[in-house]
Amino acid sequence: MADPQRITDLDLEGALRDLGPRYPYPPTPNLASRVRLRITAQPVPRPRRLELWRDPRRLALVAAVLLVLLGAAAVANPATRNAIAHFFHVGGVIVNRQPSPLPSFSPVTPLDLGRRTTRDDAQSKVSFTIEVPAELGTPDAVYVVSGIPGGEVSLAYTPRPGIPLVRETGLGVLVTEFRGDLIPGFITKSLGEGTTAQEVSVNGDPGWWIAGQPHMIYVDVAGQSQPLTLRMASNTLIWEHGGVTYRIESDLSKADAFRLAAGLP
Amino acid sequence: MEGRPLDDIALVERAKNGDVNAYEALVQHYQELAFRVAYQVTGNAADAEDAAQEAFVNAYYALGRFRPGAPFKPWLCRIVVNEARNRRTSAQRRTVLAERALVAQSSGDSAQSPEAAAEADAFRSTLVATVRTLREDDRLILAYRLFFDLSEAEMAEALKVPRGTVKSRLSRALGRLRAALPADIRMPSSAGGHDG
Repeated sequence: MADPQRITDLDLEGALRDLGPRYPYPPTPNLASRVRLRITAQPVPRPRRLELWRDPRRLALVAAVLLVLLGAAAVANPATRNAIAHFFHVGGVIVNRQPSPLPSFSPVTPLDLGRRTTRDDAQSKVSFTIEVPAELGTPDAVYVVSGIPGGEVSLAYTPRPGIPLVRETGLGVLVTEFRGDLIPGFITKSLGEGTTAQEVSVNGDPGWWIAGQPHMIYVDVAGQSQPLTLRMASNTLIWEHGGVTYRIESDLSKADAFRLAAGLP
Repeated sequence: MEGRPLDDIALVERAKNGDVNAYEALVQHYQELAFRVAYQVTGNAADAEDAAQEAFVNAYYALGRFRPGAPFKPWLCRIVVNEARNRRTSAQRRTVLAERALVAQSSGDSAQSPEAAAEADAFRSTLVATVRTLREDDRLILAYRLFFDLSEAEMAEALKVPRGTVKSRLSRALGRLRAALPADIRMPSSAGGHDG
């Protein structure tokens, strides 16, 4: 060890890292098409519910039907609603309730909100007018995702008196706005036990209040494979107005979230 | 690296629901890793290819048991290693070291003098040869961490051991690698040691 010329563990790690890309592997065969052939030759039996994902039209129909059923069930007995698996739809959002418990998530899950930028720059990248909740004023940070139709903007507010910290996001309030009518895709919210979803009316538009345990959100675009955002969401108020979907994530009470929403379209 | 696991979660969910395109995208993305992980175990290309392909097929049919939101990469690694181990016969094990002389690719760094480049190449070849003499679990853990850049959490998942065990195993593997290196070997200035 005392010999300065002797290789240390750190040297060795560095040397191995350096070697990694140059390691003399034989060329990688193209397995994708062969694997595809094999799995299509012998398809795996799937639960019927999952078939819905493959056909947007059928999905929309089922969503509509479930929405009606859901409304009836909610009127009749709120508990019934929690007992069934259901889908419902708000603008570009499809919420999927799953009866199975969610895996635990680490609060360090990175927020993938897009590129941090100024409000003016974000405005030039999205096809709708960015609205800022009047009560909160100028956001502490603005993020934009321009790779999806119409774009998506997120306004982040740090915790402050009256706005508690959301442990999962490290923020106080997160407002996300995106074109709900342009994307033939959806946000999926996988709701675990302990999370409730309630149909609400926000400024006269249909929406959902999702509260309780943190839940996972991911945005996906039909026909493409990449999710656009994934994060732990806290209490969420989500609605659509004029083809734009608005989402407020916070640990605020429903009443407080509605107060913020009142400052938006 | 940051974005990838998120892509995986969505692709896995789609694949689970029967989207063959999504699964093909996963295979496309991970076939190199799978093949190379398998190669670390089998030591020959034909078995590695076979193992990687079989692993992807098996993983597809096992997706239903895959925990939603769990990382795909270490799970796949585990299946690949199992498949590769199944294919590695004792005869193959003996021939691994007798395979053609393996020379790691040169860095191609034109700023290097020919002497320095030759020294670095020689060092890398020694390193490759020595890594190949290690026992399989040492080789795998070094490869996971330093060649394939798995995080400690991913390694723990791939090896099905606690994270603390990953650290100690990695450190022991490094120690055994160092002990197995020729006594007179020295770091070449350009072989990727840490600077400062």
